Amino acid sequence: MSQSVSPPASFEQRSVDLRRRPRTGEALIRAFLVFAGLVSVLTTAGIVLVLIYDAIKFFARPEPTLQGFFTGTVWQPQILKFGIFPLFNATLLTSAIGMVVALPIGLMIAIYLSEYASPRARNILKPVLEILAGIPTVVYGFFALGFMTPLLQSIFGKDRVEVFNVASAGIVIGILIIPLISSMSEDALTAVPRSLREAAYGLGSTRLETALRVVLPAALSGISAAVIVAMSRAIGETMVVAIAAGAGPRNFVNWGNAVDGLNFLNPFKAAETMTGHIVRISGGDLSYQTIDYDSIFAIAFALFIMTMILNIISRWVVRRFRQEY
Amino acid sequence: MTVSHSDTYAIEAKDLNVYYGGFRAVRDINLAIEPRKITALIGPSGCGKSTVLRAFNRMNDLIPVARTEGSVTFHGKNIYDADVDAVEVRRRIGMVFQKPNPFPKSIYENIAWGAKINGYRGRMDDLVEESLRGAALWDEVKDKLKESGYSLSGGQQQRLCIARTIAVKPDIILMDEPCSALDPIATLRIEELMKELVQEYTIIIVTHNMQQAARVADYTAFFTVSPDRTGYLEEYGETSRMFTSPTSRVTEDYITGRFG
Amino acid sequence: MTKSNRTSVQAFPEGQEYDTYVKRRQRKAKTWHGLFFTATLIGILALAALLLDVINDAFGYVAIQSKVSESTLVGNYFKQQMLDARRTLTSEDDQTLVDNVATRGTAVGFFGYAYYASNTDKLAVVAIDGVKPDAATVADGSYPLARPLYVYTTEEILQAKPQVAAFVGYTLDHVNQAIGDIGYFPVSEADLAAARQQWQAAASNPDEAATFSGEILSVGSSTVTPIIERMAQDFQANMPTTSVIAESIGTDAGIRAFCLDGRGDLLSASRALTQVEEAACSKEGRDLIQLVIANDGIPVVVNPENTFATNLTLDQLKQAFTTAETWADLDPAWPDRPILHFIPGADSGTLDFFSAEVFGTRLEGQSATDLAAMLKIALSAGRVRALESAAPLNEQPVAALIALARSEIIKPTGAGSWSLFESLTRRAEIAAEVAAMPDTELQFRSWINKNFLVNAQSSDPYKAGINIAIMGSLWVTIIAFLMAVPLGIAAAIYLEEYSNGKSRLDQIIETNINNLAGVPSIIYGMLGLAVFVRFMSIVTSGQLFGYGDPATTNGRTILSAGLTLGLLILPLVIINAREAIRAVPRGLREASYGLGATRWQTVWNHVLPSSMSGILTGIILAVSRAFGETAPLIVVGVSTFIVVRPDGPFSKFTTLTAQIYQWTSRPQEEFQHLAAAAILVLLVLLITLNSAAIYLRTRYAKNKQ
Repeated sequence: MSQSVSPPASFEQRSVDLRRRPRTGEALIRAFLVFAGLVSVLTTAGIVLVLIYDAIKFFARPEPTLQGFFTGTVWQPQILKFGIFPLFNATLLTSAIGMVVALPIGLMIAIYLSEYASPRARNILKPVLEILAGIPTVVYGFFALGFMTPLLQSIFGKDRVEVFNVASAGIVIGILIIPLISSMSEDALTAVPRSLREAAYGLGSTRLETALRVVLPAALSGISAAVIVAMSRAIGETMVVAIAAGAGPRNFVNWGNAVDGLNFLNPFKAAETMTGHIVRISGGDLSYQTIDYDSIFAIAFALFIMTMILNIISRWVVRRFRQEY
Repeated sequence: MTVSHSDTYAIEAKDLNVYYGGFRAVRDINLAIEPRKITALIGPSGCGKSTVLRAFNRMNDLIPVARTEGSVTFHGKNIYDADVDAVEVRRRIGMVFQKPNPFPKSIYENIAWGAKINGYRGRMDDLVEESLRGAALWDEVKDKLKESGYSLSGGQQQRLCIARTIAVKPDIILMDEPCSALDPIATLRIEELMKELVQEYTIIIVTHNMQQAARVADYTAFFTVSPDRTGYLEEYGETSRMFTSPTSRVTEDYITGRFG
Repeated sequence: MTKSNRTSVQAFPEGQEYDTYVKRRQRKAKTWHGLFFTATLIGILALAALLLDVINDAFGYVAIQSKVSESTLVGNYFKQQMLDARRTLTSEDDQTLVDNVATRGTAVGFFGYAYYASNTDKLAVVAIDGVKPDAATVADGSYPLARPLYVYTTEEILQAKPQVAAFVGYTLDHVNQAIGDIGYFPVSEADLAAARQQWQAAASNPDEAATFSGEILSVGSSTVTPIIERMAQDFQANMPTTSVIAESIGTDAGIRAFCLDGRGDLLSASRALTQVEEAACSKEGRDLIQLVIANDGIPVVVNPENTFATNLTLDQLKQAFTTAETWADLDPAWPDRPILHFIPGADSGTLDFFSAEVFGTRLEGQSATDLAAMLKIALSAGRVRALESAAPLNEQPVAALIALARSEIIKPTGAGSWSLFESLTRRAEIAAEVAAMPDTELQFRSWINKNFLVNAQSSDPYKAGINIAIMGSLWVTIIAFLMAVPLGIAAAIYLEEYSNGKSRLDQIIETNINNLAGVPSIIYGMLGLAVFVRFMSIVTSGQLFGYGDPATTNGRTILSAGLTLGLLILPLVIINAREAIRAVPRGLREASYGLGATRWQTVWNHVLPSSMSGILTGIILAVSRAFGETAPLIVVGVSTFIVVRPDGPFSKFTTLTAQIYQWTSRPQEEFQHLAAAAILVLLVLLITLNSAAIYLRTRYAKNKQ
């Protein structure tokens, strides 16, 4: 040991003060960090307050009534008719079409990636899906209007498929959420432990049987969560429907008219969704005092509640049915 | 279980209990550590010896679910008192970990950083050299102080960690199985180093290796585990006595290899 | 199976039965495997279709119609220059010109070659750039004022109408003998032989001895008409039952008549048809056969007394007929005597030809003086004054003057546009369509071009650009970045390094962040509209800081949009940063705390540096999300039409995505092309960002090893 080392002061002499000293810098930093964490809480609070405040202002006006809002079949602010059904119906229709497209494809891609694909294939496929997921939605809107709609028109006939139609927007929404479903489902599938697969193979089961009968059920909670998150994404999707689904609500004279010939389900006709309506109305120079301004907040509030419920369900599903391996 | 060679202990645990959530990891530990001596904490795995060691410098605070009861007295002050700053405690009671964990910085920076944050005002180059010499590493690294700490071998990394610890001039050095990741030759060098360091520092070492305890420790505390998986202190005394004539049957079984 | 409780191994199928079982099982496995693979392919195809759709619309043919064609503008200007030059006599009668040049010592002139050929003793021909017109220099094109003359026809016509085939054959055989009389130059024997061979092949070895009858209609160039007429005269002498009609309507009109209206058996042209024109003809079923029948060359002549000007450069030639007043102006060594010009009149094709060959037909290559003069002639005095407000036209650079001439006089406007796919597959059809439009040019256009990147928005799709939109996107993204990144990292540090997850507040924050990540982006737009635009308008419009721009006092500013997007990407930044921080090994923190470091010292010196590349990756993903976001910006209030660059956070703005949305929503085809081009720019920017993220991620993965 080098002699240059100065030994610590003898144990007894050394004064040691362990008391807490004010560390102002640390405290300030901590305060900022807490504040940063709180911003997210404030955001949520802000969203809820803003939506509720303006939604209440909307219903406080003489024309719209809660009953009319929920049971009316016409949304036409110019004549003061505010029935949410046409918008809500279009939102559900596009989302449902999207789910019909995305669910099987997304799930099968997930199974292919996790159970079948070689590492090389995965290395090609995963970036493709990541690119799909990273493309801005307005581009998907362009795609819906410029590619999907003409495609549908050439398949089903121009006289049957309108330029703006629910089907084209719905299918493209489906394409847009495929990466979401496939990546979340794939995570759930790969999380299933190897031992479970090996047990199945040990009993002489084929890859398909292992995948469908053993791995898939084991990953079901994660997959369900993926599906619900995808639904919430589809409902909230805006640009695709704003561009391709229609520039006005598909109104019905009355319920009979809506149900007649399943009019409300016709995918080849135009219909404006909740999100599409908000974008169109707010796209112009909107004055704050108008009923239009208040009405989009009422719609947004309904939309917020819908997606929030779906998000809560999805997290509940994950927690409730999580498999502990 | 009474050790009273000196009236002044380096650090003393009284009725120490550590809980992880609802689980009591160690129970009622009473342990007084002699200054400028090496004290080894041994025992079967899961007996809580590492937990006790970490309780000596409030390292358990970093585990969100951990909770400590009882007192640990250091310089006449219970380090778990509300007005005590855990940062101050750790600055006085350094720690060397099981796995060498140098910072992803240069060798020089590894030593200097601790001193810097503790407000060291002297010449940094001197301190670095002194600490590296203290850890018997100087000759091996003096030409590559700017290289990353990761470029060293495992044993060197661990000595770097020791050098880093003594650079802030603590009173006590806690070592948590410092040789478990090292080969026998590197282990030997660390053990020799410990024997030099103990002239100036109080050293508490957790080891699962009884021979190591027998080789280096002045005192040995033997921990064991009760059927409810709670660890407790079984026997504590001078190493020479512990290994020749343990008072407890359990200790004897463990030492002679019939247990654990 | 026995009745006992024990099952038997025989209960499993064996032999034949087992084989079928296995086969069925394998078939099923194969089917599903195929299905899974197909699904994956659909994913890839969707991406491919999307990209192709965008590319398809970003490139393609456009038809550009001019108010005045460039060649007319340039041609007329120089013709006028020549006509207005001092001491110029014009005459439609070439003999007058000959007589004048022959009798005046300092004269110079030009006219049809025939008149020179019959007056060689009275005139001296001038070499241009050292080349004199003769059969050889004209045929090989080395004489600058030379051009071949053509007759076009088609295989179908030659086969269906033997009289046409015979006439063409006769022409090819006899044209060179008569060409001197007509006033043109002969085609080289080799060229003629090649043309003959082509004719023979197309007409399937016609019987030249037979007699024919019927009409032969030739349409097109007035320059070529004398040849046709002369040949017809000779031909009809042998075949009186045929009648040849030559319609002299000009080359361009001839092409339209021949190709689009299907009139005429022969098309005569004083220039070769362009590829586009030929394609347009093919489209209409007329696959043209091109036959050279003669060469034209204009001689520049002086009086034989003039012994100094035996050769003129092209520049001297230009000056000689425009600005130069004396011969000394052209060359100081020459006598200082005035130049007398004798040229064909304004209606003469020879003058057009001379002007086109000597001065060119394009704006490029003209001097600033000429370009400025063209502008002054074509535009009103008021307009000229307006244009000269910055600098006199004469002092402006050539490039600027050309641009002015284009935008002020030629005024090209779009008359049609096609997608890339259409352009590739329906080329001929499109060419035909465009050929039918007057003064219209078919161009292949990349809708992404320099102007597109530097121009502001415009209602003219050919001038519209995305510069201001990109600036807006950058501004908004930067503000979102400045807001979300510090807050997001701070929140992540708090949740990972400070919070123990037990306190009520910590749990609320935790739940909140997960909830926020699932809120549709348009809801953030509503929040931004109500809070930043409306409630905080005094701040976001900049009034509080003394910015009183009434156009933005409504709070629909870059700041509002940036803050809204900042809130939108905040959960993203937090979630990614937490993940990166969580990946930092615990040993590092313990080492730091063991030395007596405080929490912040540990975080700042060890945790953050070690997780930085992971955090950066997350930030990049969040930023590209902000860059590609549209809906909340529209709700917050992008300006629909804005032509000034945003100059700060309190400016009105539009973004690339909003611009794409607006263009996509417009019905005109051109705006779809613009949207596609803007999308390509957007995707390139985003891919660059994401590549950076992938690069960081791999580097991070390497460092961790």
